[in-house]
Amino acid sequence: MARKSFMYSVLEAVQYEMRQDKNMVWIFELTPPVSSNPGKPVINLEKEFGRNRVVNTGIDEMWMAAATLGCGLAGSKAVTYIPYQGNCMCFQIIQNHAGKLRGMTGGVASMPIVFILEMTGQTPGFAGQHSDYEIDTYYAHIPGLKTVVPSTPADAKGMMVSAIRDPDPVAFLYAGGLRELVEEVPDEQYTVPLDKAAVRTTGSDITIVGSGGGMPEVLEATAQLQKQGMKVETIDLRCLKPMDTETLVKSVQKTKRLLTVDQSYYTLCPGAEVIARCAENVNGARFKRVAFPDAAPPASPEMFLWMRPNAGHIVAAAKKLVG
Amino acid sequence: MSDTNRDAVAQEPSPQDSFLSTSRRTFFKSVAGAGAAVSLLTKGAWAQEIGYWAKDLPNEKLIQMYTDICRIRWHERTMADKMITDTKYRGYNHFYAGQEAVAVGVCAALNNKGSFDQVDLVYSSHRPTGHAIAKGVDMKKMAAENDFRATGLNGGYGGEMHLSDKSCGFIGADGMIGPGHVIASGSAFAFKARGSKQVAVVFAGDGTYATPHFHAALNNAAMLKLPFIYVLENNLYHQYAHYSYSCPMKDIADAAGTYRIPGVVVDGQDVFQVYNVAKTAVDRARAGEGPTLIEAKTYRYYNHWGAPGAKAGELGAFGYDPLAISSFRPEREVRAWMQRDPVDISRNVLIGWGVLDRARAEQIEAAAKQEAIEAFAWADRQPMCKPEDGLKNVFVAGTVPARQFG
Repeated sequence: MARKSFMYSVLEAVQYEMRQDKNMVWIFELTPPVSSNPGKPVINLEKEFGRNRVVNTGIDEMWMAAATLGCGLAGSKAVTYIPYQGNCMCFQIIQNHAGKLRGMTGGVASMPIVFILEMTGQTPGFAGQHSDYEIDTYYAHIPGLKTVVPSTPADAKGMMVSAIRDPDPVAFLYAGGLRELVEEVPDEQYTVPLDKAAVRTTGSDITIVGSGGGMPEVLEATAQLQKQGMKVETIDLRCLKPMDTETLVKSVQKTKRLLTVDQSYYTLCPGAEVIARCAENVNGARFKRVAFPDAAPPASPEMFLWMRPNAGHIVAAAKKLVG
Repeated sequence: MSDTNRDAVAQEPSPQDSFLSTSRRTFFKSVAGAGAAVSLLTKGAWAQEIGYWAKDLPNEKLIQMYTDICRIRWHERTMADKMITDTKYRGYNHFYAGQEAVAVGVCAALNNKGSFDQVDLVYSSHRPTGHAIAKGVDMKKMAAENDFRATGLNGGYGGEMHLSDKSCGFIGADGMIGPGHVIASGSAFAFKARGSKQVAVVFAGDGTYATPHFHAALNNAAMLKLPFIYVLENNLYHQYAHYSYSCPMKDIADAAGTYRIPGVVVDGQDVFQVYNVAKTAVDRARAGEGPTLIEAKTYRYYNHWGAPGAKAGELGAFGYDPLAISSFRPEREVRAWMQRDPVDISRNVLIGWGVLDRARAEQIEAAAKQEAIEAFAWADRQPMCKPEDGLKNVFVAGTVPARQFG
């Protein structure tokens, strides 16, 4: 057990699995699989496993995703780290190939593969193209692809282990804004399931559901609301597909009020799916969505920070829903 | 600099060492060594005649080219210094210093004024400020945009990676690597389909060779004989990786042979050599003869992004760049390239030709510096954006609803 960053935790999981499986490969561009952490040895996958298994490609996300899939189809475990600049360049490979091959082959395709898809949307000034948080919606829509979005270093490690060991393709959404987040993370290898939401606080007044890069603001809002006496049940979605309907419905049956929070655009944001599932299964509940407006994120910090959901927005929306 | 080299016409590719068999370091040494000693030869990977057009240009045009190089240089230096010294400054840049001769040499061969159906179009990259200035974008408005001001070039919506100015045919910067080239070829297709004499130019880095878009743009432009010019600025690094990681060739221009189009290697530090190959490519495009791939060998004096490793008042960035994580450029490499500086080369050539004297050249550079200082000072006085304006410009008409309040 030690305090570890998000990135270090992910690479620790990968390092262990690569040591166990000599066939497993890692494909990257621009972002070397290197991380250091106080009191821990530096992890450098490229150095440890060599360039034969850890490949630094040219700028070609299509190849990265396709090669990862090809490795899987050939029987090797493979992980690729696609930086946020290119996280939709590889969409076709994941959506129309990886996502459908299980079905199209009648179940026989071998796809023990992980697509780490970095996403931003946290940084004022980065403007439209470098603020692409909306991929949670895109990738969660694909059948045959497990799509997860961890929000803590400990979850990131456990879910990465599960993703690598899972026989199905996994989109592991990596919120760039959480890269430096630090918490206690076990040294040993462990798994976190790829189909379970996490209840972060329990309460009976309102259910607030967030995910990934939005969670720090959700937790901050939760703390503020609790101080004001509201009993808040906060759920970290963690898994977009399959979605943990049971945990969500159970909570909303109790609170009868559901507020969803997304950094993604309003239309078809993950929260829309959460609300739909709860609406189908809970009578008499009230719902509200906080999300990024349906507009490309502007560069100007004044515009961007006003538009991006924050703790203040969440607190105000929760009060409207409960009041 | 010898005239013999600058006057060199296209040559058949010389037998070269196998790039794959040489180490990255050995290769670098040969490139920088050649760069430091004499200019790189202009080389046609697909044999063709290169005229030495620049020598026939009127004095005012030649002086304007030198002036624009100085304007870009001082824009970059002023902005880098501001990033380092002004803690309130929010702008950033992928600095172009060191590569000025490429943008200026190419844009000098283009039509940059007139109505939108006459002006040539330039598609830029994430390193756009040099291209923008060379194309004719207003420096003040660009400086305001780069600091996200309401009166900036694009109203504060875009910032450095999305600078765009239709008035001079600067379609704009692009934060992504790849798609812009193919989109530019689409503009070239429109020109051909409507019988226009306009040309479309895309500036891109060495990292673009690895993208599928490189092939898509050149293959389709070749098949359709489009008025399209791909200016590949090979500054040796895509972000922090040497291009030998992503390209099996020493000269990326060799790829043009695959598409049966001209592929020209040019010394990107010498604006007049760049102009010559650009003019040849533009003439060819306007004549309906199809696309050209120009590879300009050049170098950036700053790191990939921002000003890490730079000191206020000094040109260039040296040493460790925290963003590079595990690899960074050797200081000797940066200094070797700075020996062949585009500002110095253009000035010395024009003095040699009797177009300028040293005093006038220095005066021009001082005025360029002053212009940059004033541009950033003007930008500092511009109003910030209104938060709610973020809901505009989604569609031509109207605004979208706010959704962040629930």
